[in-house]
Amino acid sequence: MRTLMELVLHLALVLALAPLPGGVIRKIKAFVQKRQGPSLFQEYRDLRKLFRKDMVISDRASWVFFAAPFVVFGSSVAAAALVPLLPWAGGAEFPGDVFLVISLLALGRFFLALGGMDPGSTFGGMGSSREMTISALLEPAFLVFTLALGLQAGAPSFGVILRHAATLGTAVWHPSFLLLLFSLILVTLGETARIPVDDPSTHLELTMVHEAMVLEYSGPFLALMEYGAAVKQLLFLTVLAQVFLPFGNAALAGMGIGGVVLGLPLAAAKVLVMAAVAGVAEVFTVKLRIFSVPNLAAMAFIAAFLGFLNLMVFGG
Amino acid sequence: MDGTHFLSVAILLSTFALVANKRVRSYIRTFQVQSALVALGALVVGTEHFSDRGEWDLLVVAAITLGVKVWAIPRVLLKAHGQGEPRREKDFFYNIPLLVLCCCALTAFAYFAVLGNGVPADRGASHLINAVAVVLMGLFFMISRRFALGQIVGFLVMENGLFVASLFAAGGMPFVVDLGVFVDVLSAVLIMGGLVFQLSEKFHSLDMGKLRKLRG
Repeated sequence: MRTLMELVLHLALVLALAPLPGGVIRKIKAFVQKRQGPSLFQEYRDLRKLFRKDMVISDRASWVFFAAPFVVFGSSVAAAALVPLLPWAGGAEFPGDVFLVISLLALGRFFLALGGMDPGSTFGGMGSSREMTISALLEPAFLVFTLALGLQAGAPSFGVILRHAATLGTAVWHPSFLLLLFSLILVTLGETARIPVDDPSTHLELTMVHEAMVLEYSGPFLALMEYGAAVKQLLFLTVLAQVFLPFGNAALAGMGIGGVVLGLPLAAAKVLVMAAVAGVAEVFTVKLRIFSVPNLAAMAFIAAFLGFLNLMVFGG
Repeated sequence: MDGTHFLSVAILLSTFALVANKRVRSYIRTFQVQSALVALGALVVGTEHFSDRGEWDLLVVAAITLGVKVWAIPRVLLKAHGQGEPRREKDFFYNIPLLVLCCCALTAFAYFAVLGNGVPADRGASHLINAVAVVLMGLFFMISRRFALGQIVGFLVMENGLFVASLFAAGGMPFVVDLGVFVDVLSAVLIMGGLVFQLSEKFHSLDMGKLRKLRG
């Protein structure tokens, strides 16, 4: 019963926090451009607005078009349930859950791509094809990343991985961890459709990837798609923050309920730090040509693979 | 000393970046960055030796690396690339992810080659593996590029790998050997540079594929 309560609380928190990192990134970009920018909570307002709106749906759309938003949102939330915001008081976890997380994300992506192609618009198909090309190289990188950390931590489970990282302290600043960090940053940028791979704020059709796939969606369906993407972004930022900024976790783990109360703001702060890093990185880079993105993804893969080899052969 | 471990991994990564480069100018620049990392490595190990035993030869080697590999050789290569009329900038004939994945396999091979020969798996082995991988990738870079400049850069990367192997895994070679290698490399680059100038004058191109016409 207690674990169920924890799980519900965890999911409620994830859903409440998910749109925030996007707002932080927007704010940073706005500051650099000497604009005030929209409020940090603009993404929440956008979602509320979209949920209230009517939908326009192509008469060519089949059931796939209607199912896709629910599958995308549901799979993101289910995956997020397995990645604890607080490593010592998480949601559900079992040995091997990283495979479930990765396949849930793949399921979401599969339906996202189908939803893009279903109404028969050319842009949707183009976006789907690009998304699949990019993810075919990014997914192995993430898989190797989780396996490397999972084997080192003792079990391929996000809860175990994050708890193990918490015990490492400053030992995470080790070359093989830095390789893994480099790889995870690239994967995060790709999976969350950030700038070198995809520009979330563009509506220039020839460069869109994620936006092209959801082009035919409107109203509550679009809101579900965007919310799902935000939850996925929070998932990746959580892993990034809790593995590579594990400071304070070991101390808080032993404090019971106090640790949870103190740990949540700390975890949120770490996630926002990572979001801020992504925002600053976005300011200094330009979007890659679509044909160069596989090169970036290949770099992400080899960095993860080298980190994996290094960890396996020489230990942490 | 952990700094050398970081540098060794950074040099390996810079070699991957080199292989992922498409254009002649950008891989010469990446080679420059890699040489700067090598010079930094020599500086780090050299400072250690200086404070331990008062030996200053690695510091001199670091300075020479900076002068020769970071400044002089890239300059010569860029100049050789800059001469001659309209040139194709891009220099690769397999797609980049494939090249990078091949290099990944070469790195895995370096692990097996070093650890399979009874070297204990410690920090020294890690340095040695990274350096062997850089040497193999330099060789691979030579055969994966069509232009003559790419082949020179590949040769220099191999040399960087050998230098890093001796530096990090064995604390540097005797000073005379290092100096000899520098003279060797410099003269090799001068000869190759001369050949490149000749090639571009005779054929108006640095494309090695065109040399096949010379076969009887």
